[in-house]
Amino acid sequence: MDALEGVFAVAWPKGGGKLTPYLLLVPAISVVGLLVIGLVYIGDSSLRTLDRTTFLFSENYSLENYRRALSEGFTYTIIWRSLFGAFVVTIITLILAFPYAYMMVRTRSALVRKALLIALFLPFFIGQVVRAYGWLIILGNQGIINDALGLIGIEPLRLLFNYPAVIFGLVQYMLPFAVLMLAPALTAIPEEMEAAAGSLGADWFQTLLHVVLPMAKPGLIGSGIVVLTLTLTDFAMPAILGGGTQDFIANAIYDQFFRTSDQGFGSALTIILVATGSLVVGIALATFGAGTLALGKSENEVR
Amino acid sequence: MTTTKNVNRRQILKASAALGAVSMGGLAAPTILRAQEPPKPNEIIIRAWGGPWVAALEAGVSNPFTERTGIRVIHDLTEDNEIQPRVWAAVAQGRTPPIHINWDTTVNATKSALRGVCEDLSDLPNIAGTLDLAKPVGVEGYPIVNTYGYVYVLAYRPEAFPDGPPTSYHDLLDPRFRGRIAFYNDGIGFHFPAQIAGGGTLEGIPDNMGPCWEFVERIKEQEPLLGEDPDFVNWFQNGEIDAACTISTNALGARRNGIDVAWTVPEEGAKFDTDGLWIPRGHSEGDLYWSREYINFALTPEAQQVWLDGLGLPGVVPGLTPPEGLAGDPSYPTEPEDFERLIRISGQIQVEHESEWFSRFKQIMQG
Repeated sequence: MDALEGVFAVAWPKGGGKLTPYLLLVPAISVVGLLVIGLVYIGDSSLRTLDRTTFLFSENYSLENYRRALSEGFTYTIIWRSLFGAFVVTIITLILAFPYAYMMVRTRSALVRKALLIALFLPFFIGQVVRAYGWLIILGNQGIINDALGLIGIEPLRLLFNYPAVIFGLVQYMLPFAVLMLAPALTAIPEEMEAAAGSLGADWFQTLLHVVLPMAKPGLIGSGIVVLTLTLTDFAMPAILGGGTQDFIANAIYDQFFRTSDQGFGSALTIILVATGSLVVGIALATFGAGTLALGKSENEVR
Repeated sequence: MTTTKNVNRRQILKASAALGAVSMGGLAAPTILRAQEPPKPNEIIIRAWGGPWVAALEAGVSNPFTERTGIRVIHDLTEDNEIQPRVWAAVAQGRTPPIHINWDTTVNATKSALRGVCEDLSDLPNIAGTLDLAKPVGVEGYPIVNTYGYVYVLAYRPEAFPDGPPTSYHDLLDPRFRGRIAFYNDGIGFHFPAQIAGGGTLEGIPDNMGPCWEFVERIKEQEPLLGEDPDFVNWFQNGEIDAACTISTNALGARRNGIDVAWTVPEEGAKFDTDGLWIPRGHSEGDLYWSREYINFALTPEAQQVWLDGLGLPGVVPGLTPPEGLAGDPSYPTEPEDFERLIRISGQIQVEHESEWFSRFKQIMQG
């Protein structure tokens, strides 16, 4: 042990103490750096057009792929569908996640807390694709729901392969993320605040509206941004539960890369997706602040 | 993978030619010729489609090949479109490609050939015994060898058509089929019949395809499901659809699973196309040699018979016996008159325009 400490002392002298926080950032910066390099390559590809006689890309740069993307109504359709889906999923997910997280944080019963935690983490062990296929089994024409409806004489309903099915699948997928982001924010609200509100005559709804929700705002914003961005870029749920007719932007990008061999156009759509996502998140941050994503105290709080 | 160092490419190809000439029936070469064979790799990787497709390849080609050579055959079920950019990137970067042989649609494979990533297979001995169908159109030599043809039939559940099989794609516009019909998600196989169903002509392809897109717009109103090969089998099996434009093999697969599915060639006709095998550039001489041997073996009557019995499709060597129940079936064309109702469009036109057709179909369906 002493020898180990000796080696460590040589490799990591005390003088390096001030550098430690920065050195600990190196892995994260490396990962982000790799993503940036990838994005630069994609940006480069987006400026090259495909020659369909040789299936090679042009040596010259041009904005043709962007012109094409922005002149096709299809692009706007999928961007609108993705954005609208992301907003709807975010709102529904937060509405469902809040009571779940609140219950998990505030319950006096260890058993209930454990049950809620298990129910929260279980879906993480099952991949998104498997979960989507699970919904195919449950919601299919011969699935459990339609079987149950059949028992009371209702003809099978088409519950799959439409926009609501995609939204449903995404909400189910995003819920654990939202709960996990919300729980720390709710834990940080002292229970005494709620008790104080009650002692001053507020009923539970007034307490929720005027005390808990405002104080949970950083958690709601943080989880909202995470759910929004994950939904905006999702691929599997629209592909599997949408029946091929409810594509999001990621599905259109996939098609260009892997179906039509046009990586240039796919790259242009990728850049548009990144720009759209960044713009939406930027607007959210400017409007609501960074919430729990900001981590440290704000300047006002410091003062 | 094994690397062969002291044998040059020409020697290997000559040895391969001699070997094949002696043993048209497969890999039963005399010992003296075997001495010229380069070392065998432990395994070769074939990209394949899943479900009934890979099962048929395994039974007809891969397993017998392993029995004769001792080389294990691994089937990589990555989608053909997904493997393509990976192979292209590997060849461009001088890396060993992720697969030895790509089992691919001829149109897709032709894109790779035009890009120059395919090994030349012109001197495979067993090509001499194949039909014209084996020769890819629009490229020099044999960068791809077509191995069978197939038809995009109109498959249907007889129960949903009590008055008899559908005779036209117009029959699918009946309101009772809303949400109960399916197509490939890029519309492959449906573009050409749709051109006719929309009142156009085959001569209008590719310059005047308005009728095709107008008919696709009408089909969209029926809220069709869009998917890939395995989806059709699942959807028929789960009672999700009543009719689909799909390759006959999928309908046959569903039928072999006990589902009551039939198929027909509607009055608009049905697209006929081919699939093939090709080898990406960048493999060692030894791996290349044995990959070529695999393809050469796939062109033997015995391999074709078993492989294509499984797929229910007509092969590229003469004298094959149709699988039970498929003799004279529209999905199993063998005689010139069988092709009269089938639509064949030049591979070159398809290669140049397929992407825009896919995009247009998706735009309509996603709109």
